[in-house]
Amino acid sequence: MAGRAQIPTCNSALIAMIADEDTVTGFLMAGVGNVDLRRKTNYLIVDSKTTVKAVEDAFKEFTTKDDVAIILISQYVANMIRFLVDSYNKPVPAILEIPSKDHPYDPSHDSVLSRVKYLFSAESVASGRR
Amino acid sequence: MEVEQEKPSLENVEARQQEKQRGEEVVVVEEEEEQQQGVEEGEENANVLQFMDSMDAYLTLSHSLSSTLRQGWLELASARHSMGASRVNTVLLDHKFHPAATTLLVTRDEGKVDSMKQHFTLCKWASSGNEKCSLGEAKSSQDKLHPQLRHRGSSQLYEEKTASEHKASHEVDDQVQKERSKSLSVFGTLVSPKLRAAQLSFETALETLVEIANTRSAMLCAFDKVNKKLGGSKG
Repeated sequence: MAGRAQIPTCNSALIAMIADEDTVTGFLMAGVGNVDLRRKTNYLIVDSKTTVKAVEDAFKEFTTKDDVAIILISQYVANMIRFLVDSYNKPVPAILEIPSKDHPYDPSHDSVLSRVKYLFSAESVASGRR
Repeated sequence: MEVEQEKPSLENVEARQQEKQRGEEVVVVEEEEEQQQGVEEGEENANVLQFMDSMDAYLTLSHSLSSTLRQGWLELASARHSMGASRVNTVLLDHKFHPAATTLLVTRDEGKVDSMKQHFTLCKWASSGNEKCSLGEAKSSQDKLHPQLRHRGSSQLYEEKTASEHKASHEVDDQVQKERSKSLSVFGTLVSPKLRAAQLSFETALETLVEIANTRSAMLCAFDKVNKKLGGSKG
């Protein structure tokens, strides 16, 4: 685990995606798609039939891969595995929550903003002043 | 009697001088402490400002990303409408071994104490040795050569250099166009202009996402500093 705490300096790192079909299609057209020798892809297309377990497994797989630098995840999909996303706190890969066609971006659900918002609470300001 | 009177007065003077000296030392120490406190407050304010700026940038970029993605989805829907749903489908995606054409370069800021801050650079259409993200480095290395050329005073050499630069950038652009076409080839040889437009929109979205990643990194770094300070003041 001490090795995982180190931030890798990585060349040709990948962008992984866990999102709906149109979002994944769009980003694949932009050239981010990667298929390795084991025919494993760097994306998971989430639809109505995709189980929460499948999303969890994909998230865990992408966050443990050394060659993935950014994970794009639709916010509504992130809400399915919110506990997992919020408990993730490594700098790389960076988890970016993105909107989807039917679910606009909501800053109040963003895990990064949730982590820092307590600084704006009255309690933290009052304790800082003591 | 007079000698005895002089002794207490001398002692008084010495005592007063010592007190004065102690008082001056205390004032100096207090001034130093105030200066130190001022410097610390300045650093704290800088961290807070950096955090607030990063957060503002993060929210602004997120809003921009939403707009770009909406445009991309609309163009993709238009392409699907004109080409047919069976032609713009994830079933057609290539599942054979192929590396990503667009990748990232992750670097850590050198010389910085905080190891949490890293920098992401997008390398678009980087297959076949055509790395668009390194184009900037190539240009900067060429810029470094320019002062030498100008010092030589050879305008012809400079013109040749500029011409070769243009040629190189044209070649790179051609390669990029080829990569773009290759990426769309899974949807057929002739594709709708809307599909090409969608491709460009998602490329723009990628650039915004990389900016968001860098802003996120800066925000979390500043947040850690502010949080440590708050934690220190509580303890």
